[in-house]
Amino acid sequence: MEKIINEPIAGTFGWLHVGGTKVTLPDEIKEQEIALAKGETKTVFLEDDGSLLSIKAKLPENAKLHLILLRRSEAAKSCFTDVRVRLEDGAEFTWHRFILGGKETYDNVSVELAGKGSRFAADLGYDLKDEEKADVNCEAIHLGKKSESRIRSFGVLAKKAGKLLRGTIDFRRGCAGSIGNETEDVLLLDDTVHNQSVPMILCTEEDVVGNHGATIGRPEERLLYYMASRGIDETQALELLSRAKLEAVLHQIPEEDIQQTIREAKGWT
Amino acid sequence: MSAEKTYVEDVDRSFYDFRFEDRDNYRVSSGLTEEIIRQISKEKHDPDWMLEFRLQSLKVFEQMPMTTWGPSIKGLDLQNIVTYVRPNTERMHAKWEEVPENIKETFERLGIPQSERESLAGVGAQYDSELVYHNVRKEVADLGVVYTDIESALRGEYADMIRERFMKLVPPTDHKFAALHGAVWSGGSFVYVPPGVTVEIPLQSYFRLNAPGAGQFEHTLIIVDKGANLHFIEGCSAPKYNVANLHAGCVELYVGENATLRYSTIENWSKNMYNLNTKRARVEKGGKVEWVSGSFGSHVSYLYPMSILKGEGARCEFTGVTFAGAGQNLDTGCKIVHDAPKTTSYVNTRSISKSGGISTFRSAVVVTAKAENSKSSVSCESLMLDDESRSDTIPVMDVRTNQADIGHEAKIGRISDEAIFYLMSRGLSEEDARALIVSGFAENVSKELPLEYAVEMNNLIRIEMKGAIG
Amino acid sequence: MANELVFIKNLSAKAEEKEILKSLSLSIGRGETHVVMGPNGAGKSTLASVLMGDPAYEVTGGSIEFDGRDIGELAVHERAKQGIFLSFQNPIEVPGISLENFVRSALERQTEKKMKIWEFRKEVKRVLETLAMDPHYAERDLNVGFSGGEKKKAEILQMLLLKPKFAILDETDSGLDVDAVRTVSKGIEEFQKDASASLLVITHNAAILSALRVDAVHILVDGRIVRTGGKELIEQVGREGFAPFLEETE
Repeated sequence: MEKIINEPIAGTFGWLHVGGTKVTLPDEIKEQEIALAKGETKTVFLEDDGSLLSIKAKLPENAKLHLILLRRSEAAKSCFTDVRVRLEDGAEFTWHRFILGGKETYDNVSVELAGKGSRFAADLGYDLKDEEKADVNCEAIHLGKKSESRIRSFGVLAKKAGKLLRGTIDFRRGCAGSIGNETEDVLLLDDTVHNQSVPMILCTEEDVVGNHGATIGRPEERLLYYMASRGIDETQALELLSRAKLEAVLHQIPEEDIQQTIREAKGWT
Repeated sequence: MSAEKTYVEDVDRSFYDFRFEDRDNYRVSSGLTEEIIRQISKEKHDPDWMLEFRLQSLKVFEQMPMTTWGPSIKGLDLQNIVTYVRPNTERMHAKWEEVPENIKETFERLGIPQSERESLAGVGAQYDSELVYHNVRKEVADLGVVYTDIESALRGEYADMIRERFMKLVPPTDHKFAALHGAVWSGGSFVYVPPGVTVEIPLQSYFRLNAPGAGQFEHTLIIVDKGANLHFIEGCSAPKYNVANLHAGCVELYVGENATLRYSTIENWSKNMYNLNTKRARVEKGGKVEWVSGSFGSHVSYLYPMSILKGEGARCEFTGVTFAGAGQNLDTGCKIVHDAPKTTSYVNTRSISKSGGISTFRSAVVVTAKAENSKSSVSCESLMLDDESRSDTIPVMDVRTNQADIGHEAKIGRISDEAIFYLMSRGLSEEDARALIVSGFAENVSKELPLEYAVEMNNLIRIEMKGAIG
Repeated sequence: MANELVFIKNLSAKAEEKEILKSLSLSIGRGETHVVMGPNGAGKSTLASVLMGDPAYEVTGGSIEFDGRDIGELAVHERAKQGIFLSFQNPIEVPGISLENFVRSALERQTEKKMKIWEFRKEVKRVLETLAMDPHYAERDLNVGFSGGEKKKAEILQMLLLKPKFAILDETDSGLDVDAVRTVSKGIEEFQKDASASLLVITHNAAILSALRVDAVHILVDGRIVRTGGKELIEQVGREGFAPFLEETE
């Protein structure tokens, strides 16, 4: 089935091809509804297996859902995940996504911060090489007052890898007192890679604070010099920093065993 | 339970109802015929190639779909585009009495003399401004600089120079309104600065644009040769009233090796205008283009000056401010292509939304694999003055080399109550305090403008901020 | 000369078109501790940076020999492998890499041998104890969110773990509170215990030097060494400042 997926809320210049992506979806669809009671906390850890995974969750008052998704590097099939979450008052959703490789990875995560004081944190970590592609659309839609979102991504691209990340913070009228932050940090290891970053802030509410920051390219000259002064050459420094970027995302996960599974998937001991 | 149900309908943009690819691809017959184009061409005494060019552009225009993003242009009568191109002559000779009240008031507040007001409004003759224009021309001509209207230049000694470059940076196939421009363009400026020449005084197209019939599909072509230096100012801060409310101009800038061109615009079209303008610069080795852009007027704007950094070490600086008030949807920003080593770009923009106005900052920074050791830094800040307005930031960074350093920062927020309180405690009224803060917010642009323009821009902000307390 | 570890001859260097070092000569023997003092802007930090090979500076003349080898053409990391260590004035923050992992990686690169993690941990713990530092220090991301004093302490910790042949302390003592000064002094004493390790202490204040074994003191003014002497020079600077030496430039 041919479809356009990962289409962001707002479009832009057509020649950049960063709107939706046309794909052929697999026939097998796995649907999962995650239901939580008020105040309940739950962690869900899933690995992609090349199917189309659709996850929906409604988080009632003060419920907390932590979703961790792992894409292993050896995965050969294209993988599609679509996560849609709605947050009521005080509810929290944390999305951790690790793309350690795999031919093509498509991720959509769309979160409605409907309740007062609801929170959404997204952490994306990726390490792509050898023509691997990741195409991600992440949306934080602020509806409730004093809602907070934070979209963060760290990643490394090498050897013809490609990554397209659209991250949208959408402040809708009425979400007074809300805060949205987005940061992106991409390390490019050679000039065969293709990085596309589309960090949008859409706003129809006056009383909000929205920030976005991105750094793309090489690490700072002074950082490389500092590392060299301790005997670490540039190639080694980039390797270390790549690992550091993924580790920083891993550290956010409270469950040690899940951290360990992901480290092992990466071949780190 | 009913609330639950509503939720499913409201928010569940289901995974399965993806949009199929065929987009709204509607075409309209514009009423613009080959005959009309031939007639325009004849009146302008075009050379033959230009007639051909216009006819080709017309074909492109008819075939091209509208963009699928950006503000709505439903208010434009696309089926009858010919009325924008050839408005009936009686309406062209508008009367002073017909100029909208708000524009007259702005003239009043800006302290513009009566004769100037009439010419600005496009209804009067060109007494003073023509004179100034001629004087400026003489002064720069002594330096070997060519500053003339493009139509006559097309038939003069610079004909080949123009032919080589006309709509080569912005081809008619770029977008629908570039094609329209190619077909019906009329009037505009041609500037050539010879190698090594520095033009001390800024050239101001304001004088040219007020020529009868100009200012709607005008074409500006500027060539700054090796090592030369020019500041060109387009427009002025008083509103330009035009009965035909479509502006589809085109600006092409060629910046030679080690040359510098600063292109400043304070755009303040009257608020019925659809401003679909295209501006583009190509910068050679060691050259630099500096855009200073203030967008205050228009009903709808699509405006993204593009800089193509083609030579090693080419640079671009873009400084912009956009102020969208009631009834305005201003979609502005810039596009930068780093296509050579050691190129740098620096973008600093501010946008302000008020009284239901919509301002969008839209940008594209493209860094090709050739652009090793390039640097780009983009910073955009948005200010929301109330909760009926809208402010969007839509940047794209497309990077294909590791040897570059690309940074982007965006911020959105409002005027803090503390700041207002502080200023009021020093004796300012709330209105003045807010106007002062907004002027300060827009200082990135005003400090780049010649003094008289900066003063007028701040006046404009003050006018826009009148009655802004809500 | 064979016994000299560092031999700098007629070294000139510039940064951003400004000449800073002007034909400077200096040599340091094995196991010796030298002090370079001088007023602000004399070129002290430039000397430290040029020895390490900082790309921000351009060497325009002269030579640097280290351990009998001209290192002028060596890349920064190669110099580190030869045994040179620089304690930075403003160490860079490296998010995501813990201090311990950073030093372990650096040691593995320098020695080109895999470290045994447990042995290394023990060593880190021992050094932390010697310096009376919080044991959790090593687990924190390198320099991230460290105070000025903490960063300097972390540099000293790295010095003791990396065991260079020659350490340069660039204003490591400036802007520190009493506690941090004590840690730094303790670290230097510890480093001096290795009889073959050489040390170059760059400073513009005398406080940290009082308890230290010092073999030579050099006064650096306007890119040149204008006076070399013993510990008595430190006292003289303490009493009279640099004014008496300024006249010696010409």
